[in-house]
Amino acid sequence: MARYVVVRVLMMPILLLGLVTVAFVVSRTVPADPLSTVVSERQLGNPVVVQAAEKRWGLDKPLPAQYVIYVRNLLRGDMGTSFRTKQNVRQDLEDRLPVTIELTLAAMAIAVTVGLLLGILAAVRRNSWVDHLARLFALLGSSLPVFWTGLFLLYIFYARLGWFPGPGRLDPRAVAPDKVTGLYTVDALLAGDLGTFWDALQHLALPSFVLGWAVMGIISRLVRASLLEVLNQDYVRTARAKGLTERSVILTHALRNALIPTLTIIGISFAILITGAVLTESIFAWPGIGSYAVDSSRALDFPAIMGVSILGGVIFLVTNLITDMTYVLVDPRIRLS
Amino acid sequence: MNRKTRYYLVAGLALAALAFIATACGGDDDNGGGGAGGGNNDKPLVIARDMDINSMDPSRAYCDTCQIYLTATYDTLIGLDPKDNKTFIPRVAEKWEGNADRTQYTFTLNKKANFADGTPLTSADVKWTFERLANVKGSAAYFMDGITAIETPDPQTVIVKLAASDSSFLAKVNASYAGIINSKLASANGATAAKDADTTDKAEAWFLKNSAGGGPYTLANYTEGAEIRLARNDKYWGDKPALKEVIIKQVKDAVTQRQQLETGDADIAMQIDPDTAKKISNKSVTIKEVPSFNFVYIALSPGAKDNKIDLNPKIREAVRSALDYDGIIQVTLGGGGKKQAAPIPNGFLGTKNLQLPSRDVAKAKQLLKDGGQPNGFTIDAMYPNVNVYGVDFNTMMQKIQSDLSEIGIKLNLQPVEFTVWVAKIRGDGIPLTAVYFAPDHTDPIQYVQYFGMVPGAPWAGRAGGANTPLLNQAEVDLSAKALASSSDAEREKLYESIGNEMIKDAIILPIVNPNLVLAYRSELEGMHYSACCNLEVARLKRK
Repeated sequence: MARYVVVRVLMMPILLLGLVTVAFVVSRTVPADPLSTVVSERQLGNPVVVQAAEKRWGLDKPLPAQYVIYVRNLLRGDMGTSFRTKQNVRQDLEDRLPVTIELTLAAMAIAVTVGLLLGILAAVRRNSWVDHLARLFALLGSSLPVFWTGLFLLYIFYARLGWFPGPGRLDPRAVAPDKVTGLYTVDALLAGDLGTFWDALQHLALPSFVLGWAVMGIISRLVRASLLEVLNQDYVRTARAKGLTERSVILTHALRNALIPTLTIIGISFAILITGAVLTESIFAWPGIGSYAVDSSRALDFPAIMGVSILGGVIFLVTNLITDMTYVLVDPRIRLS
Repeated sequence: MNRKTRYYLVAGLALAALAFIATACGGDDDNGGGGAGGGNNDKPLVIARDMDINSMDPSRAYCDTCQIYLTATYDTLIGLDPKDNKTFIPRVAEKWEGNADRTQYTFTLNKKANFADGTPLTSADVKWTFERLANVKGSAAYFMDGITAIETPDPQTVIVKLAASDSSFLAKVNASYAGIINSKLASANGATAAKDADTTDKAEAWFLKNSAGGGPYTLANYTEGAEIRLARNDKYWGDKPALKEVIIKQVKDAVTQRQQLETGDADIAMQIDPDTAKKISNKSVTIKEVPSFNFVYIALSPGAKDNKIDLNPKIREAVRSALDYDGIIQVTLGGGGKKQAAPIPNGFLGTKNLQLPSRDVAKAKQLLKDGGQPNGFTIDAMYPNVNVYGVDFNTMMQKIQSDLSEIGIKLNLQPVEFTVWVAKIRGDGIPLTAVYFAPDHTDPIQYVQYFGMVPGAPWAGRAGGANTPLLNQAEVDLSAKALASSSDAEREKLYESIGNEMIKDAIILPIVNPNLVLAYRSELEGMHYSACCNLEVARLKRK
């Protein structure tokens, strides 16, 4: 397996270069004008201002030259300065990524825990009201648009009932904990500030549920289907015949095999959640990668678009690799080569 | 794991879950209530706003949120009286005067003026600030156009000499982009005012974390996409601000802004549209609709490359007469706006007596006939797919499409991203489009220089086509006189004449001058809309 992993890791830079090239060409060939992000619309007719802006942001050079400069700087670790935020893109990503990771980890934790539980219950109590209820819950999670769920839950639990806090990562007047990881819950704990920890945890509850619900539905349905399939196999019948308890048969023997397809979904879902948390971040005012990607795309902020593309590419490659490696751990019959 | 251990584990997890739910359900003390601390100015003020920051550097910034931030952190030479939004009042300059033909201005600085770090604010800082604003060639660089020399005979005197008359210069130095920068501090962190500052100035990143002004507040923290946190400048030389801390929070939509305002999480919601405002019945919240200086317009470009129609003055006038302005204002803003005559907003000098547009379908049909298009025509209408000042452009354009169809004009609606719209308008041009405008400063000349059919004005070029701008000599002559005039009464008449000429051009057809909704917690005092600065937070306090 070690050789397989080394080859996959060595392939990553080549795949990323391909990604960079495609993203560069696509972003530069759309019929839009990035100057509107750095120069006000009413000054776009002012040749002095336009010329200065083009020179400053490297837009005065031909596209091949821009590409060569970009790749050369990238190899030095310089991802350029965002047209929009005026910060180094690497800094932007370092600021934004922990926000999305915190949200995604919480969403994934909720999705996996509840999804597994519902899936097992639905399989064990097949065609009972538990199964029907789990199906309805999964269906709602998968079909309701995130923006609707987010706004609805905010309205009910924040504006009307006041049970949960509103948008943002902390109380609007609170001061963020000193940055160590960028995850407020972790940083607050590291600082020994339990008040801020609870504040951060409360603010995490609604957005992570909203984000995790869709994945939760997929996981629960997949676990149910896989488990039902496994429960009909001979070795399960043998285990029962040997007199094992039903709990032992399901949790120890059946579930482990039923988890393999679920792991694939969890791996892919994690990457999808990170790069696709756009609406949740926007509704709950979480300044993460998703909202950064959307704002950058709308502004045609070339350096930021490239940065997000590279980050997304790395996340997909790494999570796919980890998922493949996890198969081996779950099913010793699988060999990676 | 034995059964007993499992029970303890399950019980422990259940208790932890209950504790979490109980804590979460506890909510904020402010939830649903009137907010703590009436009269407590130590409680941070929270402003909910969809921020449009393009830079935190005063010489490069150019946005509505920038105006609020810069006004709080940088003092300008002169201020604007909030009572009438017209009269200039002393700030860093305790007095000022312009010569007869408005080619020279002399400012006398207040000796007490200083920066937040205690450094005295002198004429050298003013000269450096104005030169940097011009030389970094940012979007507000045009404020300094025409300056031939800035003399500083002593630390309290600044003499600005201009190549041509410019009666709008005081309005420009009143604008927040002309806030005075601590030149020593900024220079030490990569800023320069040299001629080549557009390539050699390296301070923009530093300004993201620091302010270098002498305003009533200083920048405590800026987190892009999340918040701007301002701390009271306790060394402020002028009237001390009441509020200890002000936080501008990123909140995207009007609905969430409203929720935060009603729960007390926010003290001010800045982008509540008139429709949303009507749904607020919370007694702890005050809602006021005030006139704004923003407006939304449609524009016709006879010279656009893709235009196949002879958009002569009669056809353009037919379009103006066919529009149901009251209906559009009702549909888009629930009636929360006003009609506007010329591309100079209501309330600006010279607009008082201009005739407002009104719908006359019969007249529109006759004008179409006279203009050589008796059966109407089809025309492309590309516009940015945005919602500004509460006006949803898709809704507005659909209503306009419906109005124009009554006289036989068929609009081919093409909503696009703003960057796509910019590429098109800068390139081939767009036969019929819709856009919006907010003022940079308080002088009406900015509208002539942008919308007028005068040399160099963007819309003159767009209307006529890239190489043959559409010109109106009367506007050229009248604006030259207005720039040279030192009499407000005379300028009023001149701008009224210019407004009438712009109406005759019928290139820019103003649709609505939207009202601005001031939505804030009732415990606040000093809430206002400023023509120069959007919102001056230093004037706010809690009862």
